[in-house]
Amino acid sequence: MKDTLALLQKFNAHPDSRCWYVAWNPKGTLLASCGGDRAIRIWGREGDSWECKTVLQDGHQRAVRKVAWSPCGNYLASASFDATTCIWKKKNDDFEVSCPQTIDQMLCDDSKIWPVRASHCLCFFQCLTVLEGHENEVKCVAWAPTGNLLATCSRDKSVWIWEVDEEDEYECVSVVNSHTQDVKHVVWHPTQELLASCSYDNNVCVYKEEDDDWECRATLEGHTSTVWGLTFDPSGQRLASCSDDRTVKIWKECQPGGGQGTDTAWKCVCTLSGFHGRTVYDIAWCPLTGALATACGDDGVRVFKEDETADPDQPVFSLSAHVPKAHSQDVNCIAWNPKEAGLLVSCSDNGEIAVWNYQSEV
Amino acid sequence: MICPTPNAYIALLALLCKFIEAMVITLNDCLACSGCITSAESVLITQQSHEEIYRVLRNNKVVSEQKVVVVSVSPQSRASLAARYGLSSSEAGRRLTAFFKGLGVHHVFDTSFSRTFSLLESQREFVERFHRKEQDKQALPMLASACPGWICYAEKTHGEFILPYVSSTRSPQQMMGSLVKGFFAGQQGLNPQQIYHVTVMPCYDKKLEASRPDFYLEEADTREVDCVITSGEVVKMLEEEKVLLSDVEPAPLDTMFSSVCGDELLGHAGSGSGGYLHHVFTHAARQLFGEEVKELTYKTLKNKDFQEVTLERDGVVVLRFAATYGFRNIQNLVQKLKRGKSPYHFVEVMACPSGCLNGGGQVKPLPEQNNKELLQQVEDLYKEERPLVPEEDQHVAELYQSWLQSVGEERARELLHTQYHAVDKATNGLLVKW
Repeated sequence: MKDTLALLQKFNAHPDSRCWYVAWNPKGTLLASCGGDRAIRIWGREGDSWECKTVLQDGHQRAVRKVAWSPCGNYLASASFDATTCIWKKKNDDFEVSCPQTIDQMLCDDSKIWPVRASHCLCFFQCLTVLEGHENEVKCVAWAPTGNLLATCSRDKSVWIWEVDEEDEYECVSVVNSHTQDVKHVVWHPTQELLASCSYDNNVCVYKEEDDDWECRATLEGHTSTVWGLTFDPSGQRLASCSDDRTVKIWKECQPGGGQGTDTAWKCVCTLSGFHGRTVYDIAWCPLTGALATACGDDGVRVFKEDETADPDQPVFSLSAHVPKAHSQDVNCIAWNPKEAGLLVSCSDNGEIAVWNYQSEV
Repeated sequence: MICPTPNAYIALLALLCKFIEAMVITLNDCLACSGCITSAESVLITQQSHEEIYRVLRNNKVVSEQKVVVVSVSPQSRASLAARYGLSSSEAGRRLTAFFKGLGVHHVFDTSFSRTFSLLESQREFVERFHRKEQDKQALPMLASACPGWICYAEKTHGEFILPYVSSTRSPQQMMGSLVKGFFAGQQGLNPQQIYHVTVMPCYDKKLEASRPDFYLEEADTREVDCVITSGEVVKMLEEEKVLLSDVEPAPLDTMFSSVCGDELLGHAGSGSGGYLHHVFTHAARQLFGEEVKELTYKTLKNKDFQEVTLERDGVVVLRFAATYGFRNIQNLVQKLKRGKSPYHFVEVMACPSGCLNGGGQVKPLPEQNNKELLQQVEDLYKEERPLVPEEDQHVAELYQSWLQSVGEERARELLHTQYHAVDKATNGLLVKW
């Protein structure tokens, strides 16, 4: 493998607890992380290193499982085991502060937000609203590309679709019960209003809006154990899933032969097996390069590259880079920076975040 | 706790799980999701089946102490059965009367009759709440309570917060319970325990409603409604008897607790879920604002299961009513209410999308049938029953006078109204979730 995955920085993000998830903002300038300590941290680059800009505490009563930025970058949603989803609004753009005294003056007690270090640039978030309704742990939250729809999923087996109006009011649009077990992850298509979810029931479901309600239009069967993560390719034509069965599957939508069928069919066009030693917890498809990264329970981080010459209906992926002991414990999440090619971030059960640079010889 | 052996314990749990799983699957179509039914409740529901009815009827043939068997059929079930067998609603009613009596049932009543009581009480309750809305911040919006799926959810998920808004008026099923085990029993010189009261309903949640402790007559040691069967379960009975409803010779309708005109059954205006919005609105418009509303204009909001009706006076909205059906709309209603942002005075809340006509216990479409088309058919058959204005029902007025007034205000209130109880999630018993 001539391709490399180099560690740039590693730091402890969530003291004495798991770091469950990391998410880049749309501009790629901020990284949000969340963890078992019930907090959300926002990280920004200061020179060559990453520094904590803010800690959002007291938003949740239990671990925060996932965070997601809105397409405009002004909102952050957090999904928690306390059965709620918080929507945070960024109160201002980053600004320069000349001295520590000014920072103290700017802290307002009712918003419970404060910077961890007196650094040059700060950002403030305020909890806008709390979405209730799920019966138990919320496992994921995701914003639709249009920005006015949100999806959440839970151990209560349901997927909820929410709509936000001009006044920042959130209302439930649909509650879909297509899975028979805990729903682990939801992800939106990059450009269309199409939603996918995956579950402990080993399946992936794809949803579309029909009339005034959301329905499951396709059930993707094939994994032999819990499906933990999902990611669409940059064009949205393919979906990659990762599972406790230690494989990654690539799915492609195939048009049903003739007729006006409303149900779509997705076929598994590729299975990557034999690469992962344990459960694959997360998968991310780079929107810039098309590289596929995975986070594994064997503590490793892997990057797969697609063979350009292969038949598009029978794609071929090869292992491009692999760091076996990326962390000292399970890797829970992996995320590509949306603006900077090769910039990759992972986080682990040991509370750490690792920043990587992936270089590929074309 | 000592378990025999780990394996035996696991086997027992697995068996219990399968048992409850089966129950949860049959109750799948209701709002009472797995988070709401305890194993104790599941057991109560298994006791209500058409097999139970057969057992009682068989017993009647052998034991010395016979039970008087009464079956009360809901208009939604009648419409569903009418659709399956290609009959009009009244034709289905007459044949159901004959079918049940052929099995040994003594009386077959219609819950549209008891619904008249529910509608009248709802109307009065609304006006009373409207009058005290300045003093009592929890008087409005009044939330309809005929749907047990909604009540179950409200009690278990929103508890003390939501219950003051919920109408105390009994549902048509339980009004019939009062009529049959109260008035009818007295009139016939029977102990309520000597009556076996069955209702035919469009959903499974009505079985839960019948099992509520509030509808248990302590002194007589009997429930007001002993057994609820669904429209689908009636089809099973017909199939077991190897008979098509359309082939049954019709019998004359029992008129004691049915709204009958000749050989036609009468219904009510408004929605297929009882017409609560319609009747409370028209009554309130008249009583509070002197307006005679001839026709209601429904405005569809977010989706077809969320509709609104308003009354304006000099350009100002003085009454704003809504119908919210289905879980997602109920969610939004309650969340808005919690934030103090609900603009409504009254809401007809139903757990099932499209309302009771689309209940989880309704007759399923045949392989060649489309869900939507069948529902439309059922709606058309339901609406064919000519509406009766509750205030003009002489029979009901007579009962108010002769019976309800005679028992005194407190007892009358017990017979026409009920209570709700918030359920603490922590004490929700054995919830088997595998």
